[in-house]
Amino acid sequence: MTGNETTPQKALVEFREIGKTYPNGTVALRNVSFQVIEGDILAVCGENGAGKSTLMKILAGIEQPTQGTIHYEGRQKRIADPNVAGDMGIGMVHQHFSLIRSLSVAENLALGQESRRGLLIDRRAAADRVRELAQKFSLDVDPNTKVGSLSVAAQQKVEILKALSRNTRLLILDEPSAVLTPQETQELFVQLRSLRARGVTIIFISHKLHEVRALANRITVIRSGEVVEDGVLSEMSDAAISKLVMGVDVTRASRNQRDLSAAAPVVVVKKATVATGDADRRIDAIDLTIRAGEILGIAGVDGSGQEGVVDLLCGNVQPDEGDIALLGRPMALATTLDWRHAGMAHLPGDRFQIGGAPQMSLVDNVMAGSHRDRQFTRGPFLRVGAMVARTNELIKTFNVRCLGPREPLNSLSGGNAQKLVAAREFSSNPKFLIVNQPTRGIDVAAAAMIHGELLRLSQNGTAILLVTSDLDELLQLSDRVAVMFDARIAVVLENEGLTPERLGPYMLGLEKAS
Amino acid sequence: MIRAAFASTAITAGFCLFVLLVVLVPVALLYPEPGEVLSRFLLGPFEKTRYMGNIVELATPSMLTALAVVLMFRCGAFNLGVEGSFFLGGLTTAAMVLWMPLPPLVGIPLALLAGAIVGSLVCGIPGILKATTGASELVSSLMLNYAAVFIGLFVLNYYLRDPTAAMLSSDRFPAEYRFESLIPRTRIHIGSIVAVVACIIGAIYLNRTSQGLEVRISGTGNDFSRHLGLNSVALNIRIQVIGGMIAAFAGGIEMLGLYSRFTWQNTTGNGWTGVIVAIIARDNPILIIPAALFIGYLQVGGDLVSRAFGVPTEIVSLIQALVMICVTSVAIFQHPALRKFVQGNRGEAAQ
Repeated sequence: MTGNETTPQKALVEFREIGKTYPNGTVALRNVSFQVIEGDILAVCGENGAGKSTLMKILAGIEQPTQGTIHYEGRQKRIADPNVAGDMGIGMVHQHFSLIRSLSVAENLALGQESRRGLLIDRRAAADRVRELAQKFSLDVDPNTKVGSLSVAAQQKVEILKALSRNTRLLILDEPSAVLTPQETQELFVQLRSLRARGVTIIFISHKLHEVRALANRITVIRSGEVVEDGVLSEMSDAAISKLVMGVDVTRASRNQRDLSAAAPVVVVKKATVATGDADRRIDAIDLTIRAGEILGIAGVDGSGQEGVVDLLCGNVQPDEGDIALLGRPMALATTLDWRHAGMAHLPGDRFQIGGAPQMSLVDNVMAGSHRDRQFTRGPFLRVGAMVARTNELIKTFNVRCLGPREPLNSLSGGNAQKLVAAREFSSNPKFLIVNQPTRGIDVAAAAMIHGELLRLSQNGTAILLVTSDLDELLQLSDRVAVMFDARIAVVLENEGLTPERLGPYMLGLEKAS
Repeated sequence: MIRAAFASTAITAGFCLFVLLVVLVPVALLYPEPGEVLSRFLLGPFEKTRYMGNIVELATPSMLTALAVVLMFRCGAFNLGVEGSFFLGGLTTAAMVLWMPLPPLVGIPLALLAGAIVGSLVCGIPGILKATTGASELVSSLMLNYAAVFIGLFVLNYYLRDPTAAMLSSDRFPAEYRFESLIPRTRIHIGSIVAVVACIIGAIYLNRTSQGLEVRISGTGNDFSRHLGLNSVALNIRIQVIGGMIAAFAGGIEMLGLYSRFTWQNTTGNGWTGVIVAIIARDNPILIIPAALFIGYLQVGGDLVSRAFGVPTEIVSLIQALVMICVTSVAIFQHPALRKFVQGNRGEAAQ
């Protein structure tokens, strides 16, 4: 920030008393005023549902403010729709990608601004444009591959390219690292810094403080729709920021230190191999034991076979070879329903696709799975009253922010939806619990609550399999860590003074257990 | 939530009226007395008890076929076998009535049940094929509709045909098997009540039973039901068999309610109407009732102007098609400004 002293700070965007009230009465933003300085990387922090995304959508022309004005380059502007924003040089990368999976990279980028040759779309020009853009911003993508066949990280690159494709001067990223592995995040940050060096101003929404520190120079904190802090990042401590975000101090849950060597094994996997299916889900001669009350963390670069282990232990696939037992019962041929009856619960990585039905109500989502329990049925009929009461109870204990139990799941923010799915899975008193990326893309408070619940369950004797690409989370919670590489378990380590650096060589396949 | 549901119903109704006028006004202008054509189409169906009876008669089979379609669509099965099921259901019921002279109190339910079972094959087989081979139920059910017709014609021609009749038709049904008219000067029969009750039961089943919840979960895609460990394959087959049974039952009811002989030589179109009704009702069993009545009203109105002024009945199909396009244009429905407009107006009206 030494540059700021010599060059005067020029505001690229200024929000003046922006307010947004939705037709249903929800106040998303009130009186938001601050500036985005040209050439900065600004981090916008806040809890889920604090209003960050709404503010960014207003800037990108997706939503309209109900109050206040936006000034761009000193002039008042009305950003009526995303096209206007594009013409002004504002591009946004959404948390949930807006790409069309069945179209190629070039087609996706050309969409809406196709160069034509007669009536036809000039594909070659489109592809050349992608190459040119890719080279200009050193984001390496092949214009002719289908977006659906790209990895998440590569899709995000395409999304960024798309946002940059219209002479973009302001790039907005909504939780860009939520879907990336640590390595990919590092790469993304390098790219963002080089964009900044080219004069692109960046606004970056994140929950992760260390990422904010690594990238941004300014920070704006939003809480309950209001700006509570706006300043230079280096002048603030982590504790101060986290207090501003939450409004209270967050205490991190820490692991229960206890001796588990005598605990009974709950899940025993012996030489399990799944050869079929796609490459990322393949597993090769896996041996695993999870004891009662133990949290076993699985680390590994994404696609090393973690998903395969999850599939195997929730009954999605049956092993081609090898044995599995749950509490002494053979499970090699078991279906998901058998696993669930035997006491398995599963918090999946994708809360809207796998963990819940987005269009259905919170009641339906919470009660799915226990909808045959005697408590909630009378003959073939559901006891709707009892279901709503139960849902309200869980919404309260898990602190899910919503308008009511009849609201559809997709109107909840990511963190609140995750809490709701967790409420369903955790409340069944599982003997064995699988959690897959439990806190991806959710705020610190929701993450802390889920971590606390996991530790409470493990204290009560639940065996937990934790798959996460967040190494801090892994080391914070796990009793033991199994590192996977190339569909095998490279090593299982006791979590005694374990550091990410110790795990690294195993994750990359440089070292193996002797 | 309720207000939002109401808003979408209001939008649908608004579109229906809009489309009606967009099609009718230019067509009416082609005739010497456009005002007469319009009023005959729009108000004519309410002029006589008989015409109103016609609306209900037309709506009765489509309520049941629409219910079958809604159940299957809500479970995620895009099965269009209702047309064939309806045909085979009618045929089997007719055959039972002719071949098994039982007292009507036993014979009618038995004939309808047999019709439902045989007719359910047209929807059930595609379901089983989907589960075992992965064949698209949409394609196989469409094709099976033709097989159903030809099987029906074979049975009619070789086993049911009345050699003394001038046309290809079965023997007359014994009079005591035919449903009596409930309201004088109309042909409204017990089937209409059955259809309305069925739609209500359908709504209760979907929204208030454990299995209904499973159906709705299966319908949202496979990942969530797999995650919960539901056996959505078996459920899907079951729902398609039930859907086929409902559609075939409708065929039997139609046969005993409105016909004295089996005369169908092709599918009747009641299945397709059911699909249209299901789409207009936006897959909601309760809304099937007004949607089916609306389509029946269009058909009666179209008939009246066709008879009185020679207006081609195709305009009814045109209106139906445009209504469907409007209703399925999710883009329009999700248009926030339009939604807000309707909800806002309602809010002000309430105050």
